[in-house]
Amino acid sequence: MQFKSRNFDDAAIAIETDNLTVALPDTAGQPQVLKGIDVTIRQGETVCLVGESGSGKSVTSLAIMGLLPDALKVTDGKINLQGENLLPLSQAQMRELRAARVAMIFQEPMTALNPVLRVGDQITEVMELHTKLPPSERRKRAIAIMEQVHLPDVERIFRSYPHQLSGGQRQRIMIAMALVLEPVLLIADEPTTALDVTTQKQILSLIGELQANHGTAVLFITHDMGVVAEIADTVYVMKHGEIVESGPVEQILRHPQKDYTRALLASVPSLSPRPARPDVSDIVLQVDRLNKIYGGGGILKKLPRAHAAKDVSFTLTRGRTLGIVGESGSGKSTVARCIMRLIDPTSGQIRLDGSDIASLSRNQLRPHRKKLQVVFQDPMRSLNPRWTIARSLTEGPLNYGTSKSEAMAEAARLLNVVGLPEDALHRYPHMFSGGQRQRIAIARAVMMRPDVLVADEAVSALDVSVQAQVLDLLDQLQQELGIAIVFITHDLRVAAQICDDVIVMQRGAVVEHGPAGDVLGSPVHPYTRALIDAAPGRDWDFQNFRKMSEAPNARPA
Amino acid sequence: MAQTPPPASAMQPVLRLIRMPNAGLAPKIAAVVLLVIVLATILAPWIAPHDPLAMDPLNRLKGPMPGHPLGTDNYGRDILSRVLIGGRLSLMIGIATAIVSVLLGLIIGMIAGFFRTADAIIMRMMDALMAIPSILLAIALVALNGPSVGSVIAAITIPEIPRVVRLVRAVVLTAREEPYVEAAIALGSSMPKILIQHLVPNTLAPLIVQGTYILASAILTEAILSFLGAGVSTETPTWGNIMAEGRMFFRIKPELILYPGLMLSLCILSINLLGDTARDMLDPRLKKRAG
Repeated sequence: MQFKSRNFDDAAIAIETDNLTVALPDTAGQPQVLKGIDVTIRQGETVCLVGESGSGKSVTSLAIMGLLPDALKVTDGKINLQGENLLPLSQAQMRELRAARVAMIFQEPMTALNPVLRVGDQITEVMELHTKLPPSERRKRAIAIMEQVHLPDVERIFRSYPHQLSGGQRQRIMIAMALVLEPVLLIADEPTTALDVTTQKQILSLIGELQANHGTAVLFITHDMGVVAEIADTVYVMKHGEIVESGPVEQILRHPQKDYTRALLASVPSLSPRPARPDVSDIVLQVDRLNKIYGGGGILKKLPRAHAAKDVSFTLTRGRTLGIVGESGSGKSTVARCIMRLIDPTSGQIRLDGSDIASLSRNQLRPHRKKLQVVFQDPMRSLNPRWTIARSLTEGPLNYGTSKSEAMAEAARLLNVVGLPEDALHRYPHMFSGGQRQRIAIARAVMMRPDVLVADEAVSALDVSVQAQVLDLLDQLQQELGIAIVFITHDLRVAAQICDDVIVMQRGAVVEHGPAGDVLGSPVHPYTRALIDAAPGRDWDFQNFRKMSEAPNARPA
Repeated sequence: MAQTPPPASAMQPVLRLIRMPNAGLAPKIAAVVLLVIVLATILAPWIAPHDPLAMDPLNRLKGPMPGHPLGTDNYGRDILSRVLIGGRLSLMIGIATAIVSVLLGLIIGMIAGFFRTADAIIMRMMDALMAIPSILLAIALVALNGPSVGSVIAAITIPEIPRVVRLVRAVVLTAREEPYVEAAIALGSSMPKILIQHLVPNTLAPLIVQGTYILASAILTEAILSFLGAGVSTETPTWGNIMAEGRMFFRIKPELILYPGLMLSLCILSINLLGDTARDMLDPRLKKRAG
């Protein structure tokens, strides 16, 4: 791992915040969202703000942009852009300054771009508003900046609408828009979180390259410590609106001073696979040449066909975890939904405890449903918001004839197992945090005593510390109950920590299949290698504050 | 992230509606006006000073006089009594239409939203229904079935159904993709159970709003049908009937149309105002604007 180690002490200060305090003045008690934040970013420097959700990272960036929502007010402090305090500026002055001197890129490039305008026009529009360049010159500069962000076939993309581009291309357009006026400061708020790892790697190196060429200061907001390790010069760790710790990236990752930073780093899952558990011969789930083809039907016109799963086969034995990894569109979720029979497979067999459920009708399927449960990605939407936790937890058992009192007793017991108080039973989902809701969703699945649990990106929406707890919970339940887990994820770190076997999927087909240690440790297929290569911070052992390669000779006591 | 907590139970929006927090003055006045009209028509048999059908040939087309506060019509019948009693049937037809069309629309919309095979057929039928002008369709239906109350209700209900079906189907199509519905499938819940327990509550809030609009438009349509002579038989007073009969004497005695028309307008205006208030309160996107 080669950290950035440039010294910026002599560079001019691009922006600095001095005791920046933001509060909710209209809420009882005037809670402070930011409590006296001091951040300094120098010309050419990349500063990473890291922290979990609710730590105030995004509020900091919005305060700098002058885009705080109405409920939030800056109550104290200064924001100096090249020595000029931004806070007293009027809305009109701030508008002038945004894009021209401070630009921002967002997480979701699809929603940040106007869907009904050609992307070229969106780039020239920025210049139209902020410069007096003639139209031909604007177009020339737009084309030039699009070439700088390495978009292919620039003339065609100039005339394209956002939906005609890929996620990575859209984010490149956003970057081009942000940088076309050569701003002093670029704020990037989780710009690669919605992208696949391979695309993320390209975007990160693009930002680095442009920064080197233009000398832009970058404020990079992220929750991903791997990304931090790749791109940061300086790191600020935030928690509950305060800066816990700051310093050069290597110092933070190698010698964190504060407990919170240590805990945050320690919960980053390691990329080195954990040892696989002994294999047993008790097969619970066997998938054989599963195919799913979408489309092709249609009454009036032939719909386009998409082969979302091609001849997928695997076996899963009791108490083991199989990971299905791949990027978006690889077909991993299609496989999960076929196994769950939420969609009907086009062909192939799914043998659950010996009986093929691939072509059973809805009614024939009911007795088998019990053995097969699911946990979804989004904990906000996986529980009915109108139902109490008790009702959600007992829904399944009541369907299979368990008595109400028995089901309630079991629900109370399981809530304890997943680490929630018993009085949670009579509360509603919105009263819980994301992590707690995911525990409830797991409890609901376990209520059925399933043989197989399908976890579809079950920890992807959670903060790393919560993610670690939920992974531990799954592990504990698996040991106690012998559940077999099909774990769908795009995150190789998570896969390395929880899976015994791993399947790598690309465009609907399985490209590599084997024990986690083999697949992730010595990948054979070029796609698997590309995936692992793109995983940010792959050479750094976050949990032990050292390089992966230092592991054997520098083991701490 | 600031989030408004979702309604804890299906009944919560209803309770909140009744309390009307943050509502302006207009909806409160509308509520009072509507309440007075409804109470007056319900109590009409007791508070009406005369039999609405009793003719009095000696006192024809009289102005306000003792015993006839709003005067009499061309047969000497008491206008106040006729307007009050006539409101009963008008409101009843409106309410019945709203309930029947919401219920039928809910059932058909659920089926269309949840079963893909049924969807294409049902929605094409609904498209066809919506392509026919609703008044013409209603006139044709009444002409076929004769001018009874039941056939008038049916005639007004049928053109209203497609709108409800579309609304319910849209809600179901979004809600069925929710992970909690898929989790319920995985938990072995039967289709009827998922439909009724997980999906119906989602449709409640938009249906309340749609119901009020249907109520208003049904009262209006009934009046139009009666006015055109295609409504319930002319012997039974409804607001529309009274106005239809009054038309001939409009030049001599405009009150014959004025009073039932005023009741009708006030009623529709109040219902629509309350419907708008309900929509603002139930739609989280409009909530910010409301207060």
